[in-house]
Amino acid sequence: MSTIRDKLREYRTAGYYTEFEYHWTMAVDLDRCTGCEACVVACQAENNLPIVGEKLMRQGREMKWLRIERYWDGEYPNARLNFIPMLCQHCDEAPCEIACPVFATYHNQDGLNAQVYNRCIGTRTCAVYCPYEVRFFNWFTYTWDEPLEQQLNPDVTVREKGVMEKCTFCVQRINRAKDLARDEDRRVADGEAQPACAQACPTDAIVFGDRNDPESAVSRKLEDPRAYSVLEELNTHPSVVYLKNARKPLAGGADDDHHGDESDSRASREGARPTWERGHDPRSGPALREGETPSLQTQQADTVA
Amino acid sequence: MSATRELMFDHGQPSYSEVNNDVINALTTTTWRYWVTLVISAGTALLFFVAPWIYQIIVGVGAAGMNRNAMWGTYLSNFIFWIGLSHSGTLLSAVLHITQSDWRKSIYRSAEAMTLFSLMTAAMFVMVHVGRVWFVHWTFPFPNPMELWPNFRSPLMFDVMAILTYLTASSVFIYMGSLPDFAAVRDRSTGLRRRIYAVMCFGWRGTAHEWHTLGWAYTFFAVLVIPLAVSVHSIVSWDFAMSTVPGLHHTIFAPYFVCGAIYSGTAGIVTVMWMLRKFMGFGRYIGQLHIDNLSKLLLVLSLIWTYINICENFSGWYSGTSFEYEAILYRVWEGPFWWLYWEMILFCAVVPLVLFSRRIRTNWNVMLVISILINIGMLTERFVIVASSLPRKFLPDVFGTYFPSLVEISITVGSFAIFTTLFLLFVKIFPAVSIYEVKETLNPLRKREAHT
Amino acid sequence: MTLLASFAHEDAALDAARALREKGVAGVDLYSPIPLHGAEEALGLGKSLVRVFTLLGGILGAIGGFTLCVWTATRFILPTAGRPVITLPPYLLITYESTILLGTLMTLLGFFVVARLPAWRDRTYRASSNVDRFVISVAGPGAAEAEDILRAAGAESIERESAS
Repeated sequence: MSTIRDKLREYRTAGYYTEFEYHWTMAVDLDRCTGCEACVVACQAENNLPIVGEKLMRQGREMKWLRIERYWDGEYPNARLNFIPMLCQHCDEAPCEIACPVFATYHNQDGLNAQVYNRCIGTRTCAVYCPYEVRFFNWFTYTWDEPLEQQLNPDVTVREKGVMEKCTFCVQRINRAKDLARDEDRRVADGEAQPACAQACPTDAIVFGDRNDPESAVSRKLEDPRAYSVLEELNTHPSVVYLKNARKPLAGGADDDHHGDESDSRASREGARPTWERGHDPRSGPALREGETPSLQTQQADTVA
Repeated sequence: MSATRELMFDHGQPSYSEVNNDVINALTTTTWRYWVTLVISAGTALLFFVAPWIYQIIVGVGAAGMNRNAMWGTYLSNFIFWIGLSHSGTLLSAVLHITQSDWRKSIYRSAEAMTLFSLMTAAMFVMVHVGRVWFVHWTFPFPNPMELWPNFRSPLMFDVMAILTYLTASSVFIYMGSLPDFAAVRDRSTGLRRRIYAVMCFGWRGTAHEWHTLGWAYTFFAVLVIPLAVSVHSIVSWDFAMSTVPGLHHTIFAPYFVCGAIYSGTAGIVTVMWMLRKFMGFGRYIGQLHIDNLSKLLLVLSLIWTYINICENFSGWYSGTSFEYEAILYRVWEGPFWWLYWEMILFCAVVPLVLFSRRIRTNWNVMLVISILINIGMLTERFVIVASSLPRKFLPDVFGTYFPSLVEISITVGSFAIFTTLFLLFVKIFPAVSIYEVKETLNPLRKREAHT
Repeated sequence: MTLLASFAHEDAALDAARALREKGVAGVDLYSPIPLHGAEEALGLGKSLVRVFTLLGGILGAIGGFTLCVWTATRFILPTAGRPVITLPPYLLITYESTILLGTLMTLLGFFVVARLPAWRDRTYRASSNVDRFVISVAGPGAAEAEDILRAAGAESIERESAS
């Protein structure tokens, strides 16, 4: 009887949800992002994304798992350009996951929002439910011209028509790092698994790592008071966290509230206890002063040594 | 009751055998006009539905005009339209059976056929919609070597279950209601047709025991179908309402869709009744009383529909969230489809107000026009809901537009041909007017004066 | 031997059926083109057994639908959207649909079982009873004494048919 009760309690919780093995998280420092799109190109090359061509691009059918969104502040001439790299947010409570009738998208043990290409039947409901619009549909079977197919990544599937796809946090790299670590009977060290975009970023604006490890570079980023997630009010609990672009307000006063709301948002975040702070006390780590970011290289050296 | 009996037949009551003759003759005598119409509609279905679909299967869903923003398009809005059209026949028939309204009896068979065929057409649109139609069976719960089962948490799985149940229940409902009539056709025909109908009627003889059992079973079917029909369109609306998309994420969507479905379905019945009167010669059985009652129903539904529309826009405006407000604004004024929105308001909310006049309600030709206008309005309603919400969700950087491609428009046209083809086949297989139930509404064959 | 009496009026046919029942004649059946309201009482038909099938089907569907959801979800856990493995609201919707589905199918089965259909073999039947005649058949030993009662009740014609 007690086992039934235990089982029932277990089944009333959300699968692996309370105990991710790793909780892969990405922190994007918008202050550092220059909008160079090196990450976009790296993603395209790593994940066998097709170049759809001008015609399909105009129809709004480009395949870009990672895109740089541009938003203007103020009016010309007193204007400023802001960049937000937008990719699959790997939401812990992803709207797309309930939508799939065939479990083609689900949450895996690493906190990743997985997409199973073979299982997908292409109802496209997940893309409709996704508020970030980071899911891409294979409207056609795309092909690569003669020499170009040579550079396809053998670790990544080439998708056929009628299949939904999206950013995987370069799951092939994560798995390779995990395999290596398992062979050596240890956990994956911080910085060992890097998606292509983080690796390509010249300004280290993209930091990737395991949130379950309080010492990891990404965990420290999360404690930054500038941290926020996009469309927080939808309660999707994304795994991609952005660090606010904390610049001087424009002279025109278009974004006067930039500085004033920081203490407020900090307070409300602590009250709401967002997902990335679950499992460990966010205040246990060393408090960072604003602007101070642990460099990825030193962090990596610490843990590996 | 007897007052209703007098009203039900505009040109005097037929006798029992005349009912048999009229209905079965309409079934068995086929003019060349019928064949021409059948060939034209089947050809249209092949050319406009099947051919573009095959093309789309070969090249991919990219043949349709959908893009990254608008991942759903006319296929889904048409799916909802056809499901909606299916919502009056069986539901109305079941409700009127339970409430023992006699005027149901001469129109319900065709109304239920409409339910069945529009449901089939809707199911076709699911197939057309999905990216890999050859794997669509994965949505059914069946044991498989992959040991993978469908996700019962998904609103699409609710759809699968609801449509499966609705298709089963309405087929059973219409078939069981026609059993005695199949027997009547069997008795009147010879040769191959007699043998086919003998099998189809399962050896029905009309004994008191059989009637008794059928009466019980039929009432149970009716009782089961009513909550089912209401649930089906609620579930379809949750495909939308369970998303976070501004403009779709409304709690009012379930009653909105159910009301809209019955509305468009009832208008569809009026259209079909006009056709039956005109081309099948059932003017004797479908008369003033029927059109008057259906029109009253249309009027009530149009008022409810208008009210819910006002509610929806009001809550968008009153919500204060910019996403919701802007979605409403985009739909009714700023977007490329604002004129479709107002066309739908004109056809579905303004035009039906003329039904307050009894002279218009009982005029078949005017009613035909109004019913077609209502269904055009309902078709565009679904399109506007999809096409004005999805291209603009949250992130302004990826705002886009959506316009259906030729393939989509052609398949939409073809779907009407499919429905027409199925209905044309129906009128030559099923007695389109229920023989035994029309007889029930006639003055009973009694020696003594009726005491009731 | 089977006796077949045809009536032009439903009240006459019902009277005859009632009279036969009072006399205790067995093997009486009444064929009519429409369901007759007095027939249940005249032939002594009670509540139909179909309702038991419907109830069983509904219960079976409810249990089956919910079990299907829970069993498939717990067999191989695929976490989605932070929802519990056993998610009640969606599973109750599936249960609702499967209740109606199984209820309908079992009612259908119940109809066939109770009405003893399909019966494609030749049986005693007059086609006129599906148009505008009400036919009473009396099978077996009661046929001889039934003839007078049927004639007295106003039968239009009486035919005999040897048992097939």
